[in-house]
Amino acid sequence: MKAFANVHPAVSMTYFLSVLLVSMFLSHPVLQAEALLGGILFCATLQKRGAALRDIGFYLPLFLMVAVTNPLFSHNGVTPLFFLNGNPVTLEAFLYGISLAVMVIGVLLWCKAYSEIMTSDKFLYLFGKAIPKLSLVLSMALRFIPAYLRQSRRVSRAQKAMGLYAGKNITDRVKNRMRVFAAMVSWSLENAMETSASMKARGYGKKGRTNFSLFRFRSADGVLLGVCVLLLAVPLVGAVAGITEFTYYPRVDNIETTPAALAVYTAFGLLSLLPFILEVKEALVWNYYRSKI
Amino acid sequence: MKKWISYGVLCLLVPAVVLCGALLFPAKQYAWISFCVALLSCLPVFLQFEHKKVSTKRLILIASMTALSVLGRILFTPIPGFKPVTAMVVITALYFGSEAGFLTGSLSAVISNFWFGQGPWTPFQMFSWGILGMIAGLLAGPLKRSRILLAIYGALSGVLYSVLMDVWTVLWADGFFNLSRYFAALASALPFTAIYAVSNVIFLLLLCKPIGKILERVQTKYAL
Repeated sequence: MKAFANVHPAVSMTYFLSVLLVSMFLSHPVLQAEALLGGILFCATLQKRGAALRDIGFYLPLFLMVAVTNPLFSHNGVTPLFFLNGNPVTLEAFLYGISLAVMVIGVLLWCKAYSEIMTSDKFLYLFGKAIPKLSLVLSMALRFIPAYLRQSRRVSRAQKAMGLYAGKNITDRVKNRMRVFAAMVSWSLENAMETSASMKARGYGKKGRTNFSLFRFRSADGVLLGVCVLLLAVPLVGAVAGITEFTYYPRVDNIETTPAALAVYTAFGLLSLLPFILEVKEALVWNYYRSKI
Repeated sequence: MKKWISYGVLCLLVPAVVLCGALLFPAKQYAWISFCVALLSCLPVFLQFEHKKVSTKRLILIASMTALSVLGRILFTPIPGFKPVTAMVVITALYFGSEAGFLTGSLSAVISNFWFGQGPWTPFQMFSWGILGMIAGLLAGPLKRSRILLAIYGALSGVLYSVLMDVWTVLWADGFFNLSRYFAALASALPFTAIYAVSNVIFLLLLCKPIGKILERVQTKYAL
């Protein structure tokens, strides 16, 4: 189930941009932890269990790698833990490495969710009016790729039938791919010119072109957009007021617990958990309706 | 007129965005600024392309060259770093000009990252591949004449790509430009830089002639 996928593209785009903006550029440990948590929960709702397990195998080593390399490169900070080759490995650098890793993994997860939700037709719906030519090029290239992949499989099968096998060694494999690739180039260009002639014949460039997917902006989308903008505004105001400033060097700051700081944490926490909350709400409503049948 | 308005907006927008970012994100301001500058430096070419009258043939040509370079990146997935993308971008630029080269490079970055993962590095890849294409387009004459120069350009572009992308690595990791980490990143990326350079040379030398022939034939056949 993807409750968030049914939201109007303008709203989901705003949402993703605001979460990414805060989690990439406000380096405050609480906000980063919230972004990571939200990203994990969101991706968990989008994926099957097997894929999620495989992801853990990818992200966990990456996390450790980022976290451990920072204290090796950076010797700032005043609390040495131990000495390595005469260089101090400091607590501050270690903590900064962990916060870096939390941020990197969080942003990666959000980008992953973005690619799941913001499919190319939504992207084109949003930008088709503003950049018509580029979005035409984008959408055609996106459409060409699966078609070319199919064709390249055909070419490679045909070449195999002609006796052009690829051996096991690497030069042979590279040569084989090259041969397929060159055949693809001439086929695709001929194909492209035919497409262009056909488009011209059907009146491309005339006024009144419509979109493939139609999205209606419903009142629920308006509410969601308002909530999203409001929740984004709080951390941004906090950033201007200096609440989200957090330094690791020379000494790690204390995490502020003033009411204003708590408000910033709560707002961003809600923002990053928004898709998960929507998902849970949908599941509850679904179960409720089913129980009444 | 419309063109000048958009250029004006761009000229004001870049400093405005950078300034706002620097005020909002004091700890990460350099990462933010470089992110915005990378993205915005692609805009003039995009805008110019939008405002020009471009024939449908040329539009589709760019689309299919982009799709081909993405396809190349996908076909060569099993061999890390060994990708024909730069070579395809350079070949496009040699035969269809700087603008087509820039667009093919930057759009290849956006589109292939739908498969290989979008992220904050996307604008940097867009810019890096775009600029490699643009320079190749400017040097089209000599590069087409001499295979040695072409090979040198391929090797240099592999190095340049690595050098540009490592600026991103460092800015994003540290929030400012940490020179010692930059050198460490360059050193640790050395095997990849070597693979980029070698693969660019190999692909350019192998592909430039046959694909160039095909492109020239298409150019005369369809009057491009």
